[in-house]
Amino acid sequence: MAEKRPKRNASPMQSAVHWALLGLVIERPSYGYELAQRFEHAYAGMLQLSGISYVYTALDTLQCRRMIEEIPGTRTGRQPKPRYRATTEGVRSYQQRLIVQMREDFRRSRLFARQLAVLAQEPEMALDVIEHYGQECLAEAGDTPLPALRGDCEDAATGLAARLVSEERRLAIESRLPWIDYARREFRALAAGRIQAR
Amino acid sequence: MSLLELEHVGKCYGPLGEHVVLRDVSLQIEPGEMVAVWGMRRSGRSTLLRVAAGIERPDTGAVRFEQHDLSAREGERLGDGIGYCRRTFAPSEGRRVVDHLLVGLLARGVPLKLAATRAREALERAEIGHCATLRPAELDCAEAVRAAIARALAFAPRLLLIDEPTIGVDLLARDAILRLLLSLSQQGIAVLASTGESPGLSGARALTLSEGELHGRPARDLATVVPLRQSA
Repeated sequence: MAEKRPKRNASPMQSAVHWALLGLVIERPSYGYELAQRFEHAYAGMLQLSGISYVYTALDTLQCRRMIEEIPGTRTGRQPKPRYRATTEGVRSYQQRLIVQMREDFRRSRLFARQLAVLAQEPEMALDVIEHYGQECLAEAGDTPLPALRGDCEDAATGLAARLVSEERRLAIESRLPWIDYARREFRALAAGRIQAR
Repeated sequence: MSLLELEHVGKCYGPLGEHVVLRDVSLQIEPGEMVAVWGMRRSGRSTLLRVAAGIERPDTGAVRFEQHDLSAREGERLGDGIGYCRRTFAPSEGRRVVDHLLVGLLARGVPLKLAATRAREALERAEIGHCATLRPAELDCAEAVRAAIARALAFAPRLLLIDEPTIGVDLLARDAILRLLLSLSQQGIAVLASTGESPGLSGARALTLSEGELHGRPARDLATVVPLRQSA
């Protein structure tokens, strides 16, 4: 098979699915269909594939960007299943992506707080939003399953991933609940002031 | 029919009742259900548990356990269907962990042999059988919580109340305690836990308590109540 032509000066890769697939290849070299199955398992409820064929499109892109490469000698037999592994460049890009994503998460939180503050003149409306936000957090908290205990998982990497995802979700909620409590008090004080002023 | 029902419960402290701790709290808990209430310090979460256990009487509203009004009984149902986990082990109640389970059973007239069996079973159920002969002071935080759970389990409760089950517990031991509470609920014991840490909400019907008001689903089969916006 002809080597994929690398894209020069390509724009940053935006697709969350592409990054997630790269992550799976970094975790363990795999072939296309296997990746699709691992994707469904690892990212259930977080990301969705539009179809299995999308995995092959994504693998093409990742190869063009030199983030992954085909493992020599794996394209054999009547139905060849080429396996892919991450390149050093792919691992480095993935690490950078995680750092950028972290910044984006903080920015989104700040943006939400700023946009809520716009409702200072309509505190009851802001309280509605806060109430819904609180309910979403509670639903997320309750729906977060306890991760399997160490030693109960099929492999160490799967167990670690489950524990890290669970803890991240739970601690993210941990920071939001006191904020919701705080915001509720702020807007209640504003609402009380408005009622008194009438 | 709910196992526990709090209906428009209010509770105030202070000479003039100026400190409102619970404000019009309604909550229903079904058999085998795990409910966790998150709140900040001084939010009223411990008071909620004491009122739910019938230890404290509400100022307004009603608390019913299996249709019986708890308000007038002041802790009478403790040990009779309701298990309230206390993490303190008074030296006067025994030297070893198992003694702390035995003393309560003996005080209720359970014969010694049966009491010993029940105490051992409760310790095993809380996965702390190996600590039976230790002194409570020798237990680490997670073991002390399990011992407190075992002490409540010895009375075969249908409702278990536990205040902050994971406070002070090592991060890596925390989930095992939460898993124990969930498994007890799956075995049919309803659990009402308070927590100041959101991981304590995992797998439970999660609620929050803020300024004495309960937020979230007040009953398992009901949708969330979102207060209506006041009209301008």
